[in-house]
Amino acid sequence: MGRGWRPILVGALVVAITFALAETHVFSPSAAPLPATAGDAARGATVFAGTCSGCHGTAGKGGGVGPRLAGAGLDAATVAATVEQGRGVMPAGLVSGQDEADVVAYVVSVSNSGG
Amino acid sequence: MPIGDVAGRYSDLVTTVFSSTIVAKVWLATAALVLVAVQLVTAARIYGRLRFLPERGAVVARVHRWSGRAAFVLTLPVFFHCVTILGFRTPDARVAVHATVGTFFYGVFAAKVVIVRDRSLPGWALPTAGITLATMLLLLWLTSSLWYFTNVRVGF
Repeated sequence: MGRGWRPILVGALVVAITFALAETHVFSPSAAPLPATAGDAARGATVFAGTCSGCHGTAGKGGGVGPRLAGAGLDAATVAATVEQGRGVMPAGLVSGQDEADVVAYVVSVSNSGG
Repeated sequence: MPIGDVAGRYSDLVTTVFSSTIVAKVWLATAALVLVAVQLVTAARIYGRLRFLPERGAVVARVHRWSGRAAFVLTLPVFFHCVTILGFRTPDARVAVHATVGTFFYGVFAAKVVIVRDRSLPGWALPTAGITLATMLLLLWLTSSLWYFTNVRVGF
């Protein structure tokens, strides 16, 4: 086999390793679910306004490409899973860490407030 | 450290600078794209094109090498988050294109590194690999950063 194949072989090996890493989700946080009570809904309102309201509307009342959240009756686990995994055009991990916990608390509060 | 903690630690680290890990990726990819534009311009100069630019030589070659190294370093956190935390997903066309091109990106990069170091390969191999890599990064940017800027927000 000529040396001309070396770049292709090396590239193919790297692609295979990348795909294997992507398929195994080695560092996916799904194994450590977010505590439902860890968030501050008041702070979450600020994070929501900056990151989520573009699609879900002000206070989650709809009007963008995302669904209306106000009055939707969502629970913390569902909201956290959607934030972490994404859904439809919504990318996974738009917020994370404490911001995620705060946004989850806020979304749960508005989605159970009767809209 | 439990595996689940790695993503949390990474998120904590990134959010000391950016508002979220997604925002970090959006801006790191944008910076990498700017550096890749520098790569294309300097490569064109090295190959004797764009004669209106300063004379080719050691400076242009150094700018070309270091812009490439910097672009590569900037893509590493993006790779880490996309590949090891989010994984390969195809929920819609945009994400499917992004995930597929992203999976091949470092493979083409590795091939280009081999081509740079192997002087026995034909002269068209290096510019072909470079242009392919730049096109892939542009596609990745269009299907992630541009989408974020136009659908979510422009901010840190």
